[in-house]
Amino acid sequence: MGKIRRLVLDVLKPQQPSVIDLSNYLSDLDGVDGVEIELIEMDVNVESVKITIAGHEINYEEVEKIINENGGTIHSIDGVSCGKKLVREED
Amino acid sequence: MVFEKLIKRLREYNEILELDAIARRYLTMNAFDGVLTMLGILVGSFFAGITDTRIIIIAGFGASLAMGVSGFWGSYLTEKAERRKELRELEKSMLTRLKKTKIGRASKAAPYILAMIDGLAPFIAALFVLIPFFVVSITMAYYIAIALAFLLIFVLGMFLGKISRENIILSGLRMTVAGIVCVLLALLLGFR
Repeated sequence: MGKIRRLVLDVLKPQQPSVIDLSNYLSDLDGVDGVEIELIEMDVNVESVKITIAGHEINYEEVEKIINENGGTIHSIDGVSCGKKLVREED
Repeated sequence: MVFEKLIKRLREYNEILELDAIARRYLTMNAFDGVLTMLGILVGSFFAGITDTRIIIIAGFGASLAMGVSGFWGSYLTEKAERRKELRELEKSMLTRLKKTKIGRASKAAPYILAMIDGLAPFIAALFVLIPFFVVSITMAYYIAIALAFLLIFVLGMFLGKISRENIILSGLRMTVAGIVCVLLALLLGFR
């Protein structure tokens, strides 16, 4: 079965814990090499973010667990890359 | 290992709910209350001519306990209500339950943490002032205890000055004025 190499998630989360803390928790996961969180929209109490996770073997369940534990909800999986090679649009 | 985990968890809760600001407020306000209450008891007892150490210790201990219980209970119920309200509002925005998340756990723990600080601050501050009555003769104890009370008030003022980045000596002196007012009012009572 293919290994998840890249994951792009649309997440709604409370403002605390901050995106810095959330990115630290996600980057500590086994198989994750890097995390990028981009703020899309901010409300009084919550914020909508785009989380991009890159790694050699990302465990989706673990990612979901960390996001949920920190109060977030995954609204959608906007992109996923699996397998030995990352496929780009131009390919 | 367990202790390290506890510290880590407290740090997380603090980051989420900014408990340190509230804790500082409760600590200073209630320690101040504790010391001033004891100062009132001491000055009142002095002018009433009480020379039995037991009476001062029992009255002082009783007052410390009352302040501790009042601080703990009042703070716990208030914080619990406020945290519940905040969490419900957040759950409304998130459209999901947050009870099993870090923020849910932090909201549950916060009332206990703050209540402990609110209860212990006046209790310990008041007991600190009582120490001389366990150690020296009653007349000396009165003077040393009153001096300790003023010292503690001054230190609390300095602590506030450090937080607000003002001159800590001036800040300490400002707080001490309250202690002086307390003594003067008690003196007036003694002269009547």
